[in-house]
Amino acid sequence: MTSLSIVGFVGLSTALLAISTFGILTRRNFILLLISIEIGMNAAILDFLYFAAFPTGSHYFDGLQGQSIAIVLIGLAATEVAVGLAIVLALNRLKGSINVAEASSLRE
Amino acid sequence: MSVPWISITLASLVVGTVATFLAGRSARWVALATSIVFLIEIGLMFWGYSWPGLLNGIPQFAYSETHAWISIGWLNINYTVGVDGISLVLILLTGILQIATVLYSWKEEKRPNAWFGLVLLTCLGCFGVFVALDILFFFLFWEAVLVPMFFIIGYWGGPNRRYAAIKFFVYTHVASVVMLVGLLALAFYSHAASLDFSSVYAAEPALAGVVPAFLFVALFFGFGVKFPIVPFHTWLPDAHVEAPTGGSVLLAGLLLKLGGYGLIRWGIEVIPNGFHTDQPILFVIAFVSIVWGSVLSLSQRDLKRMVAYSSINHMGIVLLAIALNSELGLVAALFLMFAHGIVSALLFMTAGSTHDIFRTRDIPSIGGAASVTPRLATAMMIGSLASLGLPALISFPAEFTALLATWQALAYWVLIPLIVLVVTAGFYIWMMQRLLFGPTKGIPNSVHDIASLEVVAMGILIAVTVLFGVLPNLLVHWIVMSPVGVWPL
Amino acid sequence: MNFWVSLDQWAFLVPLLPALAFVIIGALGERLSKLEHGGWLAVLFSAGSMVLGFLIAIGEMLGPGTYVDVRYTWFSIPPSSTGFRDGFSLVMGTLVDPISALMLIVVTLVGFVVMLYSIGYMHRDTGLPRYYAILSLFLTAMLGVVLADNLLMFFLFWELVGVCSYFLIGFYYAKPSAASAAKEAFIVTRVGDVLFLAGIFIYFAMYASADPSWAASGFLFTKGNAAFLPLGQGVNPTLLTIAGIFLLAGAAGKSAQFPLDAWLPDAMEGPTTVSALIHAATMVAAGVYLLVIGSLFLGFTSTDQLAIVAVGGFTTIWAASMACVHTDIKRVIAYSTVSQLGYMVLAVGAGFAMVGLFHLYTHAMFKALLFLAAGSVIHAVTTQDLFKMGGLRKKMRYTAFAFLAGAFALSGIPPFGGFWSKDDILSSVYSQLGTHPEYWPFYLMALATVFLTAYYIFRVYFLAFEGPSSREPGLSEHAHESPWVMRVPMLVLAGMAIVAGLLVFIPPFATLFNPTLTSPAFPVALPLNVPPSYPLVDIELSALSVALAVGGILVAWWLWGNGRLASMPRSAPARWMRETLLQRYYVKAAYDWIGGVGVYSIARASDFVDRFVIDGTVRGFERSFAGISQRMRKIQTGVVSDYAAYVITGLIAVFVIVLFVAPWLVSRLGGG
Repeated sequence: MTSLSIVGFVGLSTALLAISTFGILTRRNFILLLISIEIGMNAAILDFLYFAAFPTGSHYFDGLQGQSIAIVLIGLAATEVAVGLAIVLALNRLKGSINVAEASSLRE
Repeated sequence: MSVPWISITLASLVVGTVATFLAGRSARWVALATSIVFLIEIGLMFWGYSWPGLLNGIPQFAYSETHAWISIGWLNINYTVGVDGISLVLILLTGILQIATVLYSWKEEKRPNAWFGLVLLTCLGCFGVFVALDILFFFLFWEAVLVPMFFIIGYWGGPNRRYAAIKFFVYTHVASVVMLVGLLALAFYSHAASLDFSSVYAAEPALAGVVPAFLFVALFFGFGVKFPIVPFHTWLPDAHVEAPTGGSVLLAGLLLKLGGYGLIRWGIEVIPNGFHTDQPILFVIAFVSIVWGSVLSLSQRDLKRMVAYSSINHMGIVLLAIALNSELGLVAALFLMFAHGIVSALLFMTAGSTHDIFRTRDIPSIGGAASVTPRLATAMMIGSLASLGLPALISFPAEFTALLATWQALAYWVLIPLIVLVVTAGFYIWMMQRLLFGPTKGIPNSVHDIASLEVVAMGILIAVTVLFGVLPNLLVHWIVMSPVGVWPL
Repeated sequence: MNFWVSLDQWAFLVPLLPALAFVIIGALGERLSKLEHGGWLAVLFSAGSMVLGFLIAIGEMLGPGTYVDVRYTWFSIPPSSTGFRDGFSLVMGTLVDPISALMLIVVTLVGFVVMLYSIGYMHRDTGLPRYYAILSLFLTAMLGVVLADNLLMFFLFWELVGVCSYFLIGFYYAKPSAASAAKEAFIVTRVGDVLFLAGIFIYFAMYASADPSWAASGFLFTKGNAAFLPLGQGVNPTLLTIAGIFLLAGAAGKSAQFPLDAWLPDAMEGPTTVSALIHAATMVAAGVYLLVIGSLFLGFTSTDQLAIVAVGGFTTIWAASMACVHTDIKRVIAYSTVSQLGYMVLAVGAGFAMVGLFHLYTHAMFKALLFLAAGSVIHAVTTQDLFKMGGLRKKMRYTAFAFLAGAFALSGIPPFGGFWSKDDILSSVYSQLGTHPEYWPFYLMALATVFLTAYYIFRVYFLAFEGPSSREPGLSEHAHESPWVMRVPMLVLAGMAIVAGLLVFIPPFATLFNPTLTSPAFPVALPLNVPPSYPLVDIELSALSVALAVGGILVAWWLWGNGRLASMPRSAPARWMRETLLQRYYVKAAYDWIGGVGVYSIARASDFVDRFVIDGTVRGFERSFAGISQRMRKIQTGVVSDYAAYVITGLIAVFVIVLFVAPWLVSRLGGG
């Protein structure tokens, strides 16, 4: 374990974040959008865990702090999905579609 | 440890305000009870007041309390309150105007619970500003005054109320933000131990170079808009014209005083170095405000606009007296703020009653009001005469000492405010000639003189006007129990 | 002896009694209808005030030189190391000295008789509680001025005098002319008042810098001893001159001296009783009293003196000339007041303060008398136009006698009161001509005015009381003598008009004119404290002035006596002259123009600037922000993905700035 370099892990989460960003920018389907956001969130959670696992002594998130924040973030992601899905249901009932481009009535 | 009078008073005001909002039809009684309790508490505060003096060169406060609120190493925000003679007179003014406003608007039928609640909230905010000794709490109360006043103008106001309310809010809010930035920058640049007045006071000499001058400009802008100073004054006439009478009373009587108080307490007292650099700016603006306010009053047709511009003139004299940086000037400024609070409140009440009775405030279209509404005419005459500085009424001792201090500091420049006194007399006397005297004109068919509760409200103000006009030392006695002896800074 | 001196400490009651009447009448109002709407109450309180005032004055005559100063601290700031070393205080205090004792006699006596006369004269009017309340306050204010022991209190009551006169002149407020006259009186005197205030500040600064403890004592001029003036050395003469000019401006406003004289004739809009009080004892006397105080306790330089002499001397002939043509009985007497006040100012300016005060005292008696007699006439014939009156002597014998006594006193015929004082002024000023040749023109003006004075007042007498019984049918026929409450005051004053001048030959009374004042050390030595010189030092001069007066009477008789009505002058210049005089030299029109057109136009123009330039800028900001946001809102598509794109673009921009741009900038600027 100790032989593993942090670079690979960080590379993984960066890749996840890139996928997530791409998804957010291109998808119009609300559910896919939510999934993209979740992927990005998970990238962040992974980052917290790496830095917790490879303590450098200079980071704020060494050790337990990083892990605690990861747990808080998992909870947060769950809530967020719950709220998001509720919005999806409401949107579907209102517009008959879950395309986010349709939900632009706030503009006026 | 003495009784925490200030916290008790704040608590009673908060409870009273909340109860008023919830009280429904009986809100006016709750508001009246709150006002009476407030006055009693103010009386007790005066009763037990003695100024603790200076400690290590820092002015101390009576009834002071400090409780840590946010404390994270470099950032210390405390709930710190206290009073000295400077704030005490303005607290008294708050108490008097609160009960007078409640009585005057007793018959308010449009959502009375909200009306009286907002009136109490405004007074609560003003009281908070006068007692808060921490930058954050000061700002909190300062902003807390704006919100109820916004709704008072915007909901109970005249036909153009939305414009006036938004103009008032945006104008004063921009100023508050600049002021907040200035205050925080003051605290952070000087590395004050906390945001408390005494910490900032002690830390200020650490500021170097042009920093204090710039900070003072920011603060002066923030406080000056409230004054209001020319050229940042145009919100005031609009706000007054559209505001309901009670709103005008609080606006002219209390809100303008926040600017003066803030300038003394958080401007000059804590940044004397910046003040010294910027003193010429203050003088110029004060003179311009004095002349401009008075000349503009002369040309107004709307009674409320006229009184509003005369407020600019009077607050210009207050600014001048503050800017003189002398003990006499400071005492005069405080006295004049108190006097202007009472007198302008009285004048706005008479203007409001004029509107209620004659359905217009246009001076040239009414005439001979004295013969149909003698009580209103008497109140208006007393208010006008007090405002133009008649002896034995409240403004005279204040203006006399203010101008005397001006002579001592600036010599012949005193002729500017003096000659403006003639113009001030001119527009009041001319207004009285047109509105009250002469043959009757523009009088509606069914005219009733002002109602008895309005008479009581105006009577309170007139009594105060005469009392402190004849015996000014009753007030000066309290003002000087404060760090005024430290002046000139 | 002790009793008389101890009376001084009760002097504050003299103004307080009428103030009490003001409060009671003001509070009870119409509930006093049984007491003539408060009139009898006002009479009672002013009588009490008069009795006490006379007792105090007698005490002063018997024991001069002992002064009791009663003070109340009105406004005080404690001593501090940085501010006022000895503290700062303003006090209210009363002090009785010979000058104020004399004024007490004048003010309380005239006040009381006017109050009594009002009972009859005002009987038919409405709004009487207001009248009596404010008349009482008027008396209080003037008594406060008289008894003040310091400049602040003097100014305070001085302003109060002004505002009371405002309300009394505007008593018939429903009449536009009355409301306008009241406004004019207030504003014109206000101009003088603010300059007076500036003068007070200068005196304060001079004395406070000469003696730091002075600030703590509160503007005091402790009359009767030199403690007041720590001057003499280090006084800036320019400053002293300017202060004196400001004082003169204040006095000119109140005493209606040129060029602030326009308000007094218009003040005739008030009831005649008010005119009597204003013209004799209260308001206009305050201005001269101020100059007397100024010359005795504050000090004038020779430049100030010349200015005062010029103003006084010119005003005598300026006002007398206008009195010659006006046909309103009250207006003629009003111009006569302005002219007579000019004499007093002239005397004070030439350094004879006590002589001026002597004329103030005799003038108060006969001028109040003339007004009350005129009021009695107006009461009877209900017009003020001289050309409509006539032959009233047969119907109103008391009034005619009273008016005649006043007219002789005004003209300066011995032994009437006016002779002694006016002659004294003329001879005093004459005695200064040797050292001050610049006084010559003003002396000649004053001399010529003697002739004019006799002419105009006897013109009034012949027109109103002599000749055919009525020039306007149905006007004078029903005229009848006034009731006793009006006759008694006239008789009292007629008696005073005759003996007022002679009284000063009684030694105790004369002490009031000869106060033992220590002359302060002035930069210029002045003949400040010269008592009236009743022995006729210059018999030729007296003869000349009497001859002038008799000449004036004869001309009046020749033109207007025996029912003659002098026809209009035919020649064009005379007509033009008459018109100019009737238009009051167009000064009033000029003032109206300055106030109504000049100042008001500036105010309107400023209003335009305020609305469209200053507030216009504010609205400009508002509009430009609104415009910008109108354009900005186009990027608000409402599509979530677009917002997400903005967020991500923003984030990337922040990263780029923090990671690359900022370090580059810092390295370029050479920062750490």
